[in-house]
Amino acid sequence: MEILRRLVKNRISLLGLVLLIIFVLIAILAPWLAPTEHEDPYRIPRRGWTLEPTPPSAEYPLGLTQGQYDIYYGIIWGTRTAFRVGIIVITFRALIGILLGSISAYYGGLLDEILMRFTDIFMSFPYLIGVVVFVSIFGPGLNNVMIPLIALGWMPYARMIRGNILAIKQEEYVMAAQAIGVSDLKIITRHILPNSIFPVLIQASMQIGSIVISVSALSFLGLGAPEGYADWGQMLSFARNWMLGEQGNVLKYWFTVAYPGMAMVLFVLSWNLIGDAFRDIMDPRIQA
Amino acid sequence: MLSYIVRRLMFLPVVLFGITILIFALISTLGPWTLVATFIPSPDAERHVDLEGIIQKYHLDDPPLKMYMRWVNNLFHGNLGWSQSSHMTVSEAIGNRFPATLELTLFAVIPVIIGGIALGVISAVHHNKPIDHTTRIISIGLWSLPDFVLGLAVLMVGYGILGWFPPGRLSSWAELEVLSDSFRSFTGMHTLDSLLNLRFDIFWNALRHIVGPVFTLACLWWAFMLRITRSSMLDVLNQDYVRTARAKGLAEKDVIKRHALGNALIPVTTVASNMLLGLLGGVMIVETVFNYPGLGLLTSTAATRLDVPCVVGVALFYAIILVLVNLVVDILYSVIDPRVRLE
Repeated sequence: MEILRRLVKNRISLLGLVLLIIFVLIAILAPWLAPTEHEDPYRIPRRGWTLEPTPPSAEYPLGLTQGQYDIYYGIIWGTRTAFRVGIIVITFRALIGILLGSISAYYGGLLDEILMRFTDIFMSFPYLIGVVVFVSIFGPGLNNVMIPLIALGWMPYARMIRGNILAIKQEEYVMAAQAIGVSDLKIITRHILPNSIFPVLIQASMQIGSIVISVSALSFLGLGAPEGYADWGQMLSFARNWMLGEQGNVLKYWFTVAYPGMAMVLFVLSWNLIGDAFRDIMDPRIQA
Repeated sequence: MLSYIVRRLMFLPVVLFGITILIFALISTLGPWTLVATFIPSPDAERHVDLEGIIQKYHLDDPPLKMYMRWVNNLFHGNLGWSQSSHMTVSEAIGNRFPATLELTLFAVIPVIIGGIALGVISAVHHNKPIDHTTRIISIGLWSLPDFVLGLAVLMVGYGILGWFPPGRLSSWAELEVLSDSFRSFTGMHTLDSLLNLRFDIFWNALRHIVGPVFTLACLWWAFMLRITRSSMLDVLNQDYVRTARAKGLAEKDVIKRHALGNALIPVTTVASNMLLGLLGGVMIVETVFNYPGLGLLTSTAATRLDVPCVVGVALFYAIILVLVNLVVDILYSVIDPRVRLE
């Protein structure tokens, strides 16, 4: 509650919070904002078959991108894709990280050493390249992008939780609990986990913005969501062919870049604004 | 120190072993038939090819361990396989493209480090003043810009509207000049080579092509560097010894330059390797947007065409670079901070 109060008090993080709430509302209200026309709501409806994008009109307020895909529809349902992708990837990353990190910290010794070297190996891999390796073997697709993003992204959380647990194990209140004979299980669930997991969970949730960037970037390269799927990165990959407009009218197809690009930037910005404020709140050294 | 370096170098094969195992495990989930099928250009060609024969000839149905040993043996001899998307061997493709990416990264790293550190220090010194808020908002804004969105915008403005910064690496006339016999290639980096050849027209051309991708990469990492420097500098400025320095009447300028800055830069060096990781990934996207023929464009084209050997080759190459860079960063770390003993 204290954290929330400070987030609202700070104008910068308040802006982030408001943006985020708007995106949540868009995601929830998607079926009413942009009624589905296919069985699969994530397929953007096409309003024609010509390749050339159509500028915004009264009927299609944000215009139609290459292949007459409705930009407005894509942005609305793309919000759901962004949340889904971000939340799934972050949840599994945090779960794997917390599991391996706490095993490592509890048992220590050889197991700890092996797990940490294992972590080092995973960390010595440029992760976007790792995703590309995975996709080139198993073929493009949203799931085939998310799996390697999880597999190559849990290491920071494992390290963080391990460090936290190792530090907390030495805290006086844990020793005090041990001294008065509290059971191990109770110490772990009551004292160690609450103090070590929350910073990790908060850190993790703040990564959603950057995950959405990574996934969209891969869709942009043609390795993620298939053509016509409601995903901002995929919609921007259409823009690649049109952004230079035509002779004498460079900005003719501005809407193919501007609207999906704006949606992405605002989404990521909202997470980063909150995250930045969080960092200051969580850091007791910057209280002044 | 020396023993530390040797030990870290010995960790290199361990990392490579881990990575090759990982990649091999992924590849071996594909059956021999799929492996062969990736080499068949069209369904028509399939009828004329003796699939069984190929599987027999290249021992594609061997047990995994045997296949792995053979693959690693090939890697050791520099044989990374054939890249069908670039029509040459993978090692040749990497050798051809690496100088371009190196050139791009070097051009990007310098403004990022200098600008990021300078602004981070200014921001921290004026903590919670308007100048701090401004740089902070700008840096969060830049950090929230996905690299491909920024790249598209830069290309639209820099090339589409202004016509100053074209995509690609060289204009076609310059490309022909560079490939001709009269132009000696020293490093493969066009800006440097053209200066060494005293061809300033080519230098100017190469420079104009590289501005767009460098600007895009630099913007993002500039924001990152600024934030790290700012928080590390804030940390140092609250320390007792800085207060002591102020208390004994030292000018604020000297406090910052002599006492605070050195210590504030220590954590900054540790993120340098993170930055390199990010740059390597970012290069892939930025090179694709700007159609700049480096390793990144090679990787993304190879991946969309499911050219596994090429992607795997680049990944291994990156992994080696990364381990070496991390080693250099660690050593630099101990040089900057005498408290750190590498043992």
